[in-house]
Parts: sequence; structure tokens; C-alpha cells
Amino acid sequence: MSTQIPSDAYRAIEDIVGLDNISNDPAFLDSYAFEVMAETVRPNFDHFMPRPWAIVLPGSTEEVAAVTRVCNKYKIKVKPISTGWYHWAAPLTENEPTVQFDLRRMDKILEIDEKNMFAIVEPYVICAQLQAEVMKRGLNLNIIGAGCSTSIVASTCAYFGAGPSSYYMGHNSENLLGQEWVTPAGEVIRTGSLSSGCGWFCSEGPGPSPRGVTRGALGSRGGLGTYTKCAIKLSPWQGPPVMEAKGRPPGYRLPVHENFRVYSIGAPDWNAWANCYYEIYDNNIGYIFHRQFNLAGADLAPALWLNYIDPTKTINDVETSVKDLEIQKVTEEARISFQFIMQGNSVEDIQLQDKILDAILKETGCYKVKRFCEPDMAEFTNMYLQRLGHKHCNYIWVGGYMGSWMQPGTPDFTKNYVPVAIDGFNRDQKSHQLVECGGDAMMGCGSTIGGGGYCGLEQFVSYDPLEKDSVAACVKHMEDATADALANGVPPGKEYLYLQVGWQQDRVFDAWAKIPQQFVFNFQRKIKQAFDPNELGDRNYPWLPEGWGQKAQATAAAPDSKSCNSELEAASK
Amino acid sequence: MALEDYRADAMRCTRCAYCKWIPFDLIKSARFSKGCPSMETGKFHSYSAGGRLVTALSLMDGRSTVTEKVKESVFLCNLCGLCDVSCKICRYDMEPLDAMREMRATFVSEGHGLPQFAPVIESLRTEFNMVEQSAEKRGDWARELGIKDLAKDHAEFVFHAGCRYSFDGDLSHIARTSVKILQQAGVDFGIFGRNEKCCAGRAYDMGYRDDFKTAADSNLSAWKKAGVKTVITPCSECFHAFSRKYTAKAGSGIKVIHMVQFVDELIKQGKLKLTKNVDLKVTYHDPCHLGRQGEPYVPWNGKEKKIFGQAVCYDPPRPKYNGAWGVYDPPRDVLKAIPGVELIEMERIREAAWCCGAGGGAREAYPEFSRSTASERLEEAQSTGADAIVTACPWCERNFLDGSSTGGSKLKVFDIIELVGKAIGGEEQ
Repeated sequence: MSTQIPSDAYRAIEDIVGLDNISNDPAFLDSYAFEVMAETVRPNFDHFMPRPWAIVLPGSTEEVAAVTRVCNKYKIKVKPISTGWYHWAAPLTENEPTVQFDLRRMDKILEIDEKNMFAIVEPYVICAQLQAEVMKRGLNLNIIGAGCSTSIVASTCAYFGAGPSSYYMGHNSENLLGQEWVTPAGEVIRTGSLSSGCGWFCSEGPGPSPRGVTRGALGSRGGLGTYTKCAIKLSPWQGPPVMEAKGRPPGYRLPVHENFRVYSIGAPDWNAWANCYYEIYDNNIGYIFHRQFNLAGADLAPALWLNYIDPTKTINDVETSVKDLEIQKVTEEARISFQFIMQGNSVEDIQLQDKILDAILKETGCYKVKRFCEPDMAEFTNMYLQRLGHKHCNYIWVGGYMGSWMQPGTPDFTKNYVPVAIDGFNRDQKSHQLVECGGDAMMGCGSTIGGGGYCGLEQFVSYDPLEKDSVAACVKHMEDATADALANGVPPGKEYLYLQVGWQQDRVFDAWAKIPQQFVFNFQRKIKQAFDPNELGDRNYPWLPEGWGQKAQATAAAPDSKSCNSELEAASK
Repeated sequence: MALEDYRADAMRCTRCAYCKWIPFDLIKSARFSKGCPSMETGKFHSYSAGGRLVTALSLMDGRSTVTEKVKESVFLCNLCGLCDVSCKICRYDMEPLDAMREMRATFVSEGHGLPQFAPVIESLRTEFNMVEQSAEKRGDWARELGIKDLAKDHAEFVFHAGCRYSFDGDLSHIARTSVKILQQAGVDFGIFGRNEKCCAGRAYDMGYRDDFKTAADSNLSAWKKAGVKTVITPCSECFHAFSRKYTAKAGSGIKVIHMVQFVDELIKQGKLKLTKNVDLKVTYHDPCHLGRQGEPYVPWNGKEKKIFGQAVCYDPPRPKYNGAWGVYDPPRDVLKAIPGVELIEMERIREAAWCCGAGGGAREAYPEFSRSTASERLEEAQSTGADAIVTACPWCERNFLDGSSTGGSKLKVFDIIELVGKAIGGEEQ
């Protein structure tokens, strides 16, 4: 079977974007097929997802629309990426004609409306860029958990939009104020007030509001056309207009401004942890709220971070540090902990928040982790969480990380699955094929929605992508975590979504058809038929073929993790 | 090393794209946030460090072959090392810059080198310089300065001018000013004059390892014969070749000092008085080879080991080159010591500096790319409100002068030694 897009189609696209902005060189295609976590879902633990058949770099909405129309004519799938990360950013199906849009040429901040507190950006504007500009105007944006290297358009229009600052600034689905969308049919749709020529202030109108159609909690992830512009709501920033990082790499530090406080808070047990979260929500204090440093695992985190902030140290030093009695003391103190940054509108305001926090800690039995609140670690914490420029420390141990669990809910809901997740990870680490960092490598936002109330914790599983045994151990953990969750009455977590990327389409449809709310997928079929009649988008925008749901409804059941295992094994053979 | 030795780097790359940006913590504006000149020109992911690692993997596994575009994606790069710094913000187990160098060496050894490099390498082989000039003229810059000729004599210090200062008529006065400073300081030094040979650091970066080795052996042998213990050079590319590549290859035991470091020491010891006013608002450009790649060489011969089950570290601990310990402060201290000079910093400085565009063979192979990279830096320099951009490498200076003339920049371009010369009233012409 040919894996070349028809030459007529190639030339037609080349005519639109120019010779230098399209490639079908196999090595270039491979650089897009290579994606993180591919090895967990591909046969023989291959690091490459299916290759796109061409990479196209459009420079404008008009070019995106024109190329999409060519793809409709030739029945070529379209898969856009902006900064491009995760295995599902690549084509999902082998030997399927797919044009991958790399949107990097669309990289302009189009407007910052200081008075109305929003910004309009193109897809390749990353969070760090916009943050640097809006801070000069006393504003900030919610940077998602994946960090400041991510596209704002992606997290706002098309992907999971929560981060450490969502507690204060909201999930980016809440922050979406308008979008320009090139549907898979090649039509350009502008949403909300923008479509009435009233500017970008409101996503819901006056004018059409397909936000619910396209957005959802997770977004369409490149499965339902291309978002070419969006407006994002901004939030107040009471810090300096420019972040002046100090120190040597990698552990840069950001001095703590007088309007801020930066703490790591420890809890004696998970009940106290949950109570502390509730009290923080109820008292409306705080700006950035995240269980961050525990990504390294509760047994190793203090040893890692205290070495990380010293530019003379390496991972070798962590091995020594874990035996240090002082570090061991910090490790116990920080075992159940989270990072918390408060912003005041004035010095008086931050002093008041400080008093409230102290009262909450007293009431809940929680405490400040002393070593982590000393100036060096506090300044590093401030830098890390305000800019989120170290998020790929997720991979610091060995280059492979997969997040399991992360089911969102109230702190009481979350705290109930934490012991199960810890036990399961402890069990799976006994293979010695995963980084042995203690069973609790649970990390996540204090709240994934504005104002608090709703959080989740993700188990950070580090594996070596180079070693098949280690990858296999990670995959086994993914299957185990799904089974553990189901056995404890909890829906499957992120790992289940990741695993589905490697499934054949029919199997995915079967799984979706068993979900109690499968009517959603039938509804989304109607949407797909309306906006994507030639099925140019992939299943990252989930839907069910007609009849599939009804057939499976009669036997509705939860996902069967054993059959997941056998199918994965068959695929890897 | 062989390309296969970087398979782990390739397979452990997470496509995070940090290699395309300056370290995020250091971003102060959207305009000057990007870090990779190659990506800005090539645009496809293949032009980034991460993309090249994938290309290496794809080629090693026979998934693709070397095409003209693949060659361009590998060689259209200054090897400035910004990607290496940004990558290592979150990783201790990656060496993308070394991997890219290895890729070039592999390409050259397999017959996939660039034809544009051929005349330059031929010049190195026959005339011992990489600027395609006659070896006979190499020592002309020092004529009538009365400097000891180490081809016939002995000295503890050798002043190595380098190809660019030796042959570039616009810049050779900086070599003359340098030796005047050395003479004033009473240093027992000499030069090799017409017998000086290229450091060949540029050849190494182009992928010509054998030619590099020949040049390194020749220079080390000449220095040994002349009793040289310390090399002083005003060229950052030579500085890097001698201090990092020669030491790594040969364990030379030779101490290497950049002229700026030497001047800084003289000033701090009170042996060099800067008395003349130089009224100038300047901004300083960190040369890649002096700054982030100018970290001291640490010998290492070890292997990977796993701790905590699967975490990667090294036995013995592997030296970390991430730009933390480059030569950043001496040039700034020198500038601050010059009366009348006001130093205004750009946004991308020190380990996060944007490249001048001259390195890695880009100037020779892709002049337009090289000039556009320089223009980007000049725009950044201009945005500070400075009158001049000052640097400490003749390759940077040459590229800025060329970028200035084609790009219409009004900035003056200086080598830091030139300003020191003005401040001591001993500027050479």
C-alpha cells in the first residue's frame, strides 16, 4: 500500500503554503511520528507512532482552511499540532493518509486587551511568551500542568486545561473567550461575540457558541479540525513586571516579592491533607496550589530537589543524599505535602492571608515544611510554579514517565483512592523495572477549577524508554492501575486513556459503547457528521458509529482490563 | 564515540521542545524568547536538537535514508549549544550537542559531507587555516612588533591569534593590541607567526575528525617543542578547541586562557590601568564558545549505571556541561572597568545567548542563514538602546560586521580588547 499522498494533492498543498512549508521526506516524517509514550502502545515497544504522510506548515487561517479543503477532496486525514507532545498528537492509525499540520508559523500574539483582561493569540504562542508580555501589564494567565512550553490555543480550545494556578485563574475551558476554528470540512467558524463583530470578550455570544461542541473537559486533541486563534481570559498579577530569575542552571530562583508568600505545606495524614484543602477553598486564599515536588516520589523528592538547586550536583548525589539523616528527616516531614503560593493585592492583604493560613494549619494539624520554606527552596519553588518552566523534570530520572490515576473529584474522593494507588505502585516497583521512589509519587493541582473544590492526583511512574523490560513494566502498571481502580469502585484513570491510543478502532468503540453515558458519543457522532462529513478527524474527538451504542448498551459493563492485556500482548507480537 | 552511543539519548528524548527556546525561566519577552537559529530558519522539527536525535534513530534503524534535506537539517546549525543548555534544565542524562557533532562526523565519514566545506577543509590541509588564505601571510599582522618567534625560540606563554585575527584585515589590529597588552604586562610570550596553525575546532564541528586530530597533534607538538605551558588566545573558537577538544583528545596539560580572562586578571591585580574615557553605551554578546561552551574540561571515562531501580546516573559521576560555569563575568567586569563605558544587557545573555551565526560551519555552508542569525542578534542589541555591540570572538565580530552592512544596523561593533586598547591609550590600527 502506498504511503505517499497523491502527487496532485501534494502539489495542490504546496501551491497553498509554498515549497518550503511542506515535506514528505521520511526522516522528517519520523521526527513527527516519534512521540513520548509511543513505546507503551506500539508493537514491539516501537518509539514511533504511525507516520503522517506529509508535514505541512501553514502560515495563516486561510492556508489552514485551503489545505483542509484539499484534504477533503482527496480524503486525507488532518491532524494539527502546535507544540506537539504526547503519543496521541501523532496519527493514530497505520497506513492512513494523514497530513499533519505543524502550526509553528502561526506564532503571533495578536492583541493584549489590558482593560478587559484578555489576549488573542495564534497556536504557536506558548504560555511563557504570553506570560512575559502580560506581566508587564499586571496580568497573568493560567499555565496548564504540562508547563509553559505548551500552546495556549491548545490548552484553551482543544486539550485538558488545568494547572497549578487553575484554583485562582480557572481551567482554560473556562478561560476560553472566543475561538477561530477551521472545521474538518474546511469552513472557518468564529465563536461567540467575535462572530457578531463585537470583539472577543465572550465565548457564548452574541453569536454561535459551539464551545460545548468543541471543548469539553479534555478537548478534541486535534481530532476535530484546527483552532487558529483564540482569546484567553487573564487574571491579576501583583508581582514585578519582569521575572528576574537569578542563579545558575538548572535551579533558577525567583526572589519572593513582598505581595507573595511561598510555602510547602505538610500534612500528618491524608485526612488532614483533605481538610486543609477544604479550608483553603472555603477561605479563598492562595494563588498557586499544587502538589508538585512529589512527582519524584515521596521517598526521593527532598533528596532530588535539594540537589537540583545546587548547580554542582547531579543524580549521583541523590543516591548519597537519601542516606543523609537530615534529608531523611525532611523526607518524612514532606511525605504528604503540597506547594502553596499566595498573592496579595497589597502587603496588608498578604499579611492577612498569612494569618488565615496559619489558623488553617493550626486547625487541621498541617504545618510548613521547614527546609522547603527556607529562602533557597522557596525562591526555587516560586520560580518553578510561577513560570512552570521545569515541567519536564517529569522525566528527570530516566526519560520515561507515564501518569496513572488522576481521577478528579473532591479531596475526600481523591484521598480515598490515594492508598490504593500507593499500594499498587509499591507492588509494581518490586519488578525493579520502574524507578523505585516509594509508592506515593502522586502529583496534581490543588484544584482543577476556579475557586477550588475539585482535584485529582496523578501517579508519576518513571520507566526507561530504552529498555523493553522497563517499558513492559510500565504497561503492566497501567493495566494494573486500571484494574485496581475498578476493583475499588473508581473509574479508570489517565493510564486507560493512554492505553486506548494503541487499540484498534473497533475495540475503542466497543469500550466507549459500554460507558454508562455513551449517549454522549452518539451525540458527538451528529456533531462529527455536521462538521466532519468526510471523517478527516481522528478518534481523539470521540464518537460512536450509528448502532454501535445500542448493541452494546444491553451488556453495559466497565472496561475489562484482562482483555486489554491480551489485546496488547497480541499487538506486541 | 559513535552515533550508536547516542541511541539512549535519542530514545529517552521526550520531544518536550525545550531545545527550541531559551530556558523558560529567563524569558522576558515574546520577541526574544526563541533560542534555536536553526529552527527559526528550517522550521520543521527535524531542525531542532530533538528532531536530529530522532533523525539519528531513524537512520540507524533503517527507517529513512540520507537525502539532501536530511543533510541540510543536520548541517544548517551553528552548534551554538543553546539547545544543550535548555535540554539540561530538566535532564542529567542527555548530551544533544555531542550527539549532533557525532552525527556530522558520521555523515562525513560515510560520504555525506557538504560540498561547501571542501575548499575550507582543503585550505586547512594545505594552508593550515580555514579562511582560504595563503599560509605565507599568516604572520603579517605581527610584522615589526618584535615578538619572539617560537618556531625558533622558547617561551612559557604562546599568543595564538587564530585564523580570523591573522588574516582578516578589519580585525588584525585586535591581535596587535592584545600583544601590546601582554608586552606591557611583562609576560614572557611568543608567537608562531607564519608557522601558527589553525586550531581546527571548526573542522571538528564540520565533522572532519581526522583533520582536527592532525591539527591538534601538530599544535601540541609545536607548543611542547617551544616549552609552552600556557596558551593565550583572543579567539573564543580557538579557546574552546584548545581547552575542551584538545584536552579531551590528548590530555595536553596545557593551560588555556582567553585574552579577556587575562585582561580581567591584570585589571584586578592593578597591573593594567584603564585611564582614558571611552564614552559608549554598549551591550555584550556572549560568544557561544567562551560562554556556555566555555566551561572547564573535566576528564571522564565512565559508564551509565542505574540507581533506585531505573534512574540513570554514571560511574564515576559524569561531568555536567550545562552552561552553568561558562566565562561570563570576566568580560563584563572588564567592560565595567573601562571609564565611560555603560553596559546595558540584552535579554538573551550568558548561557541563554542567541548565537552570532558564524559557528558550526554555517558561515561557510549557509551564508544567508548565518547572516540572518547575526541580524537577529543585532536587532536584540539595538533594542537595548546601546550604541555598540561588544564581543570577545573574531568570528562573532566578523558576522556582526557583515550582518550590519547587509541588514542596515547602525550599531558599532567592537571586540572587547579594542575598547581596552582605547582605555589604555594604546589602541592599534
